[in-house]
Amino acid sequence: MKKKIFLLLFFLITFESYGYENLDNKIFKNLRCLVCQGQTVHDSNSEFALTIKSVVKDKISEGKNEKEIYDFLSEKYGDWILLNPPLKKSSYLLWFLPYFLFVLGIIFLFFLLKKPKIRP
Amino acid sequence: MLSNLGNTFVIVALLISFLLVFFSFKEFKTNNNLIPVKIYKISLLQLFFTASSFIILLLAYVLSDFSLANVYENSHTNKPLFYKISGTWGNHEGSLLLWINILVLFSSLFLFINKNNDKDFKILTLLFQNILVIIFLIFLLSNSNPFSKLFPIPLEGLGLNPILQDPALAIHPPLLYVGFVGSSIYFSAALAALISKIDSQSLAISIKPWVLISWFFQTVGILVGSIWAYYELGWGGYWFWDPVENSSLMPWFVMTALLHSILVLERKIGLYSWVIILSILTFTMSVTGTFLVRSGILNSVHTFASDPSRGLFILSFLILMVFFSIYVFFKFAPFENKKYSIFSKETFIIANNWFMIFFLGVVLIGTLYPVFLDTITGSKISVGPPYYNLILAPFLIPLLFLMTSGPNYKWISNETKSFFNFVLVLSVILFLITFFIVKESSFLLNLILFFSIYLITQTLFDFYESFKKRNVNISRIISHLGFGLLIFFIYINHIFSLENNFNLKLGEVKKTNNYVIKFNNLEEQSIKNYKSIIGHFNISNKKTLRSQELKPEIRLYDKPVIITYEASIDSNLFSDTYLTMSNISETDVFNIKFQIKPFMNFIWFSVLLLSLGGILNFFKRKKNETN
Repeated sequence: MKKKIFLLLFFLITFESYGYENLDNKIFKNLRCLVCQGQTVHDSNSEFALTIKSVVKDKISEGKNEKEIYDFLSEKYGDWILLNPPLKKSSYLLWFLPYFLFVLGIIFLFFLLKKPKIRP
Repeated sequence: MLSNLGNTFVIVALLISFLLVFFSFKEFKTNNNLIPVKIYKISLLQLFFTASSFIILLLAYVLSDFSLANVYENSHTNKPLFYKISGTWGNHEGSLLLWINILVLFSSLFLFINKNNDKDFKILTLLFQNILVIIFLIFLLSNSNPFSKLFPIPLEGLGLNPILQDPALAIHPPLLYVGFVGSSIYFSAALAALISKIDSQSLAISIKPWVLISWFFQTVGILVGSIWAYYELGWGGYWFWDPVENSSLMPWFVMTALLHSILVLERKIGLYSWVIILSILTFTMSVTGTFLVRSGILNSVHTFASDPSRGLFILSFLILMVFFSIYVFFKFAPFENKKYSIFSKETFIIANNWFMIFFLGVVLIGTLYPVFLDTITGSKISVGPPYYNLILAPFLIPLLFLMTSGPNYKWISNETKSFFNFVLVLSVILFLITFFIVKESSFLLNLILFFSIYLITQTLFDFYESFKKRNVNISRIISHLGFGLLIFFIYINHIFSLENNFNLKLGEVKKTNNYVIKFNNLEEQSIKNYKSIIGHFNISNKKTLRSQELKPEIRLYDKPVIITYEASIDSNLFSDTYLTMSNISETDVFNIKFQIKPFMNFIWFSVLLLSLGGILNFFKRKKNETN
């Protein structure tokens, strides 16, 4: 079962796409503006968002990749800034519970639909 | 004066509700087959007093009577009349009163027009509904009274948050409330059905119109909220997977599941207990949504009127309600003899339910997980759009496929069909054409594109086929078509959206790949309750040579002091041009966000189609009954 879930996840992650987007815009959209109410860095014009935007642009020109930039920011501001919660011990449940529920649904359906054939 | 009158009316309404509970309880299990006229009269009286209390509050807003703390905190004499009126429900206390009004309205409507004649069932539904009314009235009086007095009477009010001063937001809450509160009636009916042991068909007939109505209003309510977010919040997005948006979506999933399983229940095939569970779950999700929004435990762009003590009340009510429902369910739920065949319509409907509950689970987990993690470990994480997109998007593929093939199977019978037919070939061709225009590389997105095209083609084909036989299930066809188009246009919009962010001074010109943007003029205006700085921009398309004038605004409201950024949108049939400007402090440079958003109007239209399907079902049913 575990293997299947991992395979499924692998499948999903490799085929993810963001269309024709620049790397910096893509990163801005995945960051929370910490001083705003539920806005992304991308959508905000607060001082904080402007600072983060220039930091990210600098990091990109330094040749850092996406993951390194996220790591840098979450080290500085905590995971709260990342809208895409990273997979770690504290978020295993968040990422795997939905798939577990889905499989549970299949098992439930299987028994529901199978029953009448055993006891006509 | 209005304050005293309002308070009196609310208290009288509370007493009448107690009276109704008392009489309903006494009436239950008597041998009469008819509900006494007395109960109808009391119910009308209750409706009168709750409606009057709401009208009084409305009057207080229109007259700007600042002796009411609620009016003082949320209104202002300078505010346009329209927003004085909509301000009545633009705050926690007023919207709670509206909530109670809808609760009472649904309760009396159910009593007066429901076709089911089983007395015990009706009287028990009334009983449960009025217990809900009592609980919310007590909540209103003890914690959130809109008629609280203020002394000395202030001369001027504090004003309404300007982002709430908007026509879409004036109608958005009432629409959603009809959806949310409408689900209370089948919550009460479900509990009543268990105790009075009515059969599956009469349960289905009793609750179907209410499910349809609440589903319709919920869908339209979400749509209006989405449109509002699109033009008012100024970033050009229409769905952010924000916790508050999620709380309106959660009951929607359950309602959709319920809408489908009622079809099975109607035909006496099964799902009695399941429909009961869904009915209870819908209202539970509605109250959960209200709790999440009002308690302020979530960080959201839409948060208004949050206060922990309200949260505590709603949470206690929620827990009590869930445990009581579980108790009633296990004490009274009947044993069901199930008879499902694998390749029958009911199997597909059960599959629909499985997906809806799964979607509900994902949204619930995504919304609540950060809250739990924070309370338990103290570490804060965010769950944003990337999480939902990553988890939900792949499941759209089987869902779209099931929506395509499911409706063509027959009830109860067990037949297999071959999937290779004319429609599939046509869909593949259409998909290939779109693919070569779009040239998207993602495998997953291409699959979603294909299956949405397949759903659209098949549904149109079904319409043609059934039209020939003069037996059209127009409701299903319109709704499924709407959903297929929705996914298709969201996809196209996602691929072709353009976005440019840059800084510009007055008089400067910005050239992008396809557009030239000129900053022509800056104008200041003073309007009733705000000052406005309007930028005049000219945008010309290099290829088509078409030019557009756009005028984004920065508004400075004085009551309360808030700056808002108003997007300027040139909306055409196929594409929206979207421009926002914001000042960068201590400079004369403006930050400009320029976006091209194709097919936005088609996205709204698809959701309208989706909801229209629900209402058509209602009329179809009416017609069958009169025949």
